[in-house]
Amino acid sequence: MLLMAPLQNASFSVFQETLLHLHYSITYGRMRSLYSLHKKEGWFRIAENMGFQCLKIESKDPRLDGIDSLSGTEIPLHYICTLASHAVHLVVFHERSGNYLWHGHLRLKGHIDRKFVPFRKLQFGRYPGAFDRPELQQITIDGLEVLIPKDPMHFLEEIPHSRFIECRYKEARAFFQQYLDDNTVEAMAFRKSAKELLQLAAKTLKKLGVRFWLSSGTCLGWYRQCGIIPYSKDVDLGIFIQDYKSDIISAFQDAGLPLKHKFGKVEDSLELSFQGKDDVKLDIFFFYEETDHMWNGGTQAKTGKKFKYLFPKFTLCWTEFVDMKVRVPCETIEYIEANYGKTWKVPVRTWDWKRSPHNVQPNGVWPVSEWDEVIQLY
Amino acid sequence: HGLARTVVTPQSGMDDWKPSPLIKPFGARKKRSWYLTWKYKLTNQRALRRFCQTGAVLFLLVTVIVNIKLILDTRRAISEANEDPEPEKDYDEALGRLESPRRRGSGPRRVLDVEVYSSRSKVYVAVDGTTVLEDEAREQGRGIHVIVLNQATGHVMAKRVFDTYSPHEDEAMVLFLNMVAPGRVLICTVKDEGSFHLKDTAKALLRSLGSQAGPALGWRDTWAFVGRKGGASTIGHPPCSIKGLGGAELQEMGWAGGQIGVGPVLGEKHSKSPALSSWGDPVLLKTDVPLSSAEEAECHWADTELNRRRHRFCSKVEGYGSVCSCKDPTPIEFSPDPLPDNKVFNVPVAVIAGNRPNYLYRMLRSLLSAQGVSPQMITVFIDGYYEEPMDVVALFGLRGIQHTPISIKNARVSQHYKASLTATFNLFPEAKFAVVLEEDLDIAVDFFSFLSQSIHLLEEDDSLYCISAWNDQGYEHTAEDPALLYRVETMPGLGWVLRKSLYKEELEPKWPTPEKLWDWDMWMRMPEQRRGRECIIPDISRSYHFGIVGLNMNGYFHEAYFKKHKFNTVPGVQLRNVDSLKKEAYEVEVHRLLSEAEVLDHSKNPCEDSFLPDTEGHTYVAFIRMEKDDDFTTWTQLAKLSNPCLCPTPPPPVPPYLGPGCTWQPPGPVEIVSEEEPLPGGGGPSLPLLNEEATINHPNFLGATPKGGGSPRSCRTDMRPPPGPCRAGYCVPPGRLALHPIL
Repeated sequence: MLLMAPLQNASFSVFQETLLHLHYSITYGRMRSLYSLHKKEGWFRIAENMGFQCLKIESKDPRLDGIDSLSGTEIPLHYICTLASHAVHLVVFHERSGNYLWHGHLRLKGHIDRKFVPFRKLQFGRYPGAFDRPELQQITIDGLEVLIPKDPMHFLEEIPHSRFIECRYKEARAFFQQYLDDNTVEAMAFRKSAKELLQLAAKTLKKLGVRFWLSSGTCLGWYRQCGIIPYSKDVDLGIFIQDYKSDIISAFQDAGLPLKHKFGKVEDSLELSFQGKDDVKLDIFFFYEETDHMWNGGTQAKTGKKFKYLFPKFTLCWTEFVDMKVRVPCETIEYIEANYGKTWKVPVRTWDWKRSPHNVQPNGVWPVSEWDEVIQLY
Repeated sequence: HGLARTVVTPQSGMDDWKPSPLIKPFGARKKRSWYLTWKYKLTNQRALRRFCQTGAVLFLLVTVIVNIKLILDTRRAISEANEDPEPEKDYDEALGRLESPRRRGSGPRRVLDVEVYSSRSKVYVAVDGTTVLEDEAREQGRGIHVIVLNQATGHVMAKRVFDTYSPHEDEAMVLFLNMVAPGRVLICTVKDEGSFHLKDTAKALLRSLGSQAGPALGWRDTWAFVGRKGGASTIGHPPCSIKGLGGAELQEMGWAGGQIGVGPVLGEKHSKSPALSSWGDPVLLKTDVPLSSAEEAECHWADTELNRRRHRFCSKVEGYGSVCSCKDPTPIEFSPDPLPDNKVFNVPVAVIAGNRPNYLYRMLRSLLSAQGVSPQMITVFIDGYYEEPMDVVALFGLRGIQHTPISIKNARVSQHYKASLTATFNLFPEAKFAVVLEEDLDIAVDFFSFLSQSIHLLEEDDSLYCISAWNDQGYEHTAEDPALLYRVETMPGLGWVLRKSLYKEELEPKWPTPEKLWDWDMWMRMPEQRRGRECIIPDISRSYHFGIVGLNMNGYFHEAYFKKHKFNTVPGVQLRNVDSLKKEAYEVEVHRLLSEAEVLDHSKNPCEDSFLPDTEGHTYVAFIRMEKDDDFTTWTQLAKLSNPCLCPTPPPPVPPYLGPGCTWQPPGPVEIVSEEEPLPGGGGPSLPLLNEEATINHPNFLGATPKGGGSPRSCRTDMRPPPGPCRAGYCVPPGRLALHPIL
């Protein structure tokens, strides 16, 4: 991926090769950081000989972070080359598990000249980012053959929402040192089913174009232990009510996930539950935005009692979870602490959704006349 | 403290002694504090003030004197240093004006002082006062310790020990010493015993280094030696037994032969052992080693990216032969022919390594020379935070990942494998397979071609567990056909392909945890994991295990087992009937072979020559009895037969189900069919003669066939012990495969 300011054609050709190389790399999965770049390091030298000043940002490979105590060769993240008042920013996209591309944070280490380019004006690198792997097409611009995404709009739309956060692998390892991982057959079976259910849900919602994020126990599992909590028994997702689409239920049913219950209504406290395989349930909570907080609702089927779960406002980030690119609240710790309190680090096996959450509030009772609509059990 | 005392001593007598408020008395503070407090209160204020003034003035005076002295000293040192450089400069100029002007003033050290100690139970080497080797551990480190120093910097470039009390270690030492670049400083010292298997070639090499005592080293002598690697030449002959390395490669590794260059001796001490039961006296050699210029110590290769890598490598480590040769360095980039229609070009290759950098060097060379290799797909996973293996990886411009060990021994290897495999699939998320190699394997030139032709089987046939490049039964005298493949009921390892789905869905989630001290490969062979699936192997192995010093290997076993295995050296072999290796087709083929085979006369003693007719191009079948699945007693006995047609020595017990290895050519293959599991797929054989009499019976079938003419004993006389403990009918090297955990 190459982004550049206007540039004279003569100097462009150097980068065209790079561009082609990189796109070739992305297309064929050959941009395996080190080797190909080492071999192609030639362009770096050529560019410098042509009068470019180049800056290279490297970092450790996040793909190794999830594995205990591995340290490898650093991978290239960004190249910035300047000539006169022009700058070329080369962002290296790396393949990650979950069929997406990742680019790193442009972190300025101590020795780097902070005025090399106006870093704040760069479009990429303020945060790490994640993008759907684009299909590419070849086009000719000013007589130069280059590759661009087949769907440039989709790619451009992704940019503002591409911020990526890494799982806290180190803390997760520390967690497992304290509370051993559950490797019983049942736990492994649940993790497998939950993963499959999440994959199916993600696929279905993506097709509908509905944003979702990991919520409740699933989010806690990601944040605390970079995995699925084996005794959580369900998969929890959050969706903003403004993203609600009426065909969500039918889409899930078509995907083989029948509706189990539906509580509330679009205007208030909507909550959907689908039955997955092997007794694993998919819970979808719809979030309502107020001026200073967000909330989602809960309903007790027996009594018609309503509950409200309050969260501080949050935005969404990408992360990687069980070999998938999914969203989580960027302000994860605030989200988790609102839900589970300061003691979220300690595993709790018995959980009462009406009492245990830190942020639960009673929210009145549904009028009996509405029960048929707001309490649907299947 | 001294200063404080100077201040207080001028006061005489306890009564007049008034402590300065600034300075606390040290020794007697506790004892006298009450007394002093009382006394202090009684003294008049004027006396106290005067005392303070005197104290302060004295303190000032002393400080000033000390400071002046310091300044003077520094001045003198500087002026001395300024007078000095004259001779130093001349010296530098004589050496070719190498030292940068910056360094002249500070007076570079041109001599190393080296101490070498040799004794029965301890050796050590110190360079300029820094201990670079110290070994006083009991019952290890026996033999000749060798250290190589950079002649310009004095840095330790290599450290080895050769247990020349044991056979073949001297060959390794010769090989190593020949790999060392000329001009390097060599240090040798003997711990305990180093002469028993120090053969003539090694002694001649020591002589060529200028050593007097080395070539005459006797039983339990102590010996310390410092010399310089001489000339640009080597001595001795390459060990013929280095398999998988052609003459050209040996030459590249430094076996060029040629004239003997005698290096100058820098010091040597030797003490003869007075009697067979005692050791020579400990010797301590102290000697000065003049350093040469950096210019002399380095080569001047053309400035290319490759040579920069080479330079970094060669200025750091030693013992890699002609890769660091100034005149004619061996290439570090190989451009093997690309493979047309390469199906494994995008398959990641994980090289699992420990701290055996010389092995890794050899391994990577053969890997990078194989046709169809894609270097950007290779990752070397190093178990431990070792530098030298990482240097080797960097030399070849590959990706290296270090794994800080978290467990011990077998479990450590096992955890290293897990981390490496997980990392491989993380780094290459698109990959459906991974090739797994170890650092002590030679890779056949058609390794990738073999995989490219067979990898689709792994995709299309669920009954497959892996594709392996190694045939346990592929001995020199049994493996013939480079185009032939088999299915086997085990996981041979030593260069194999792993399916991502198998790893991610089955193996990774339940991989043995560190506290379980299991071998990963044994675990993978357990029925719970393998679940009846089979592996594809070639008749002639595409990998060769050259490693001797490993966790699970001993030299004797290695010689008995691995050296006799065949290794394919023919490029571009076209594999035959690859699709017939799929489960259904393979079973059809086995049925066909069996139905066309002629049943041997089971009433004959298998030891008789006539048991197997000496005909060509004919398939015979014999039946053995098995009481249960893992009953291989009969098979083992049969396999040990000296009958060269049935199963020649060394006896390789094979799995009852179509283990190759008991085929022989000529005259033609024998099928050994077990009664318990006569045919794959569970179907009973529709063959005649499958009854008690037609079955070779039981463990002691030799005795159990009384009609047999030959004496059973005559069969047994020629028996050798099998090369290793056998399990599941498979011959397993001791330790390496060890015992099956569930047995």
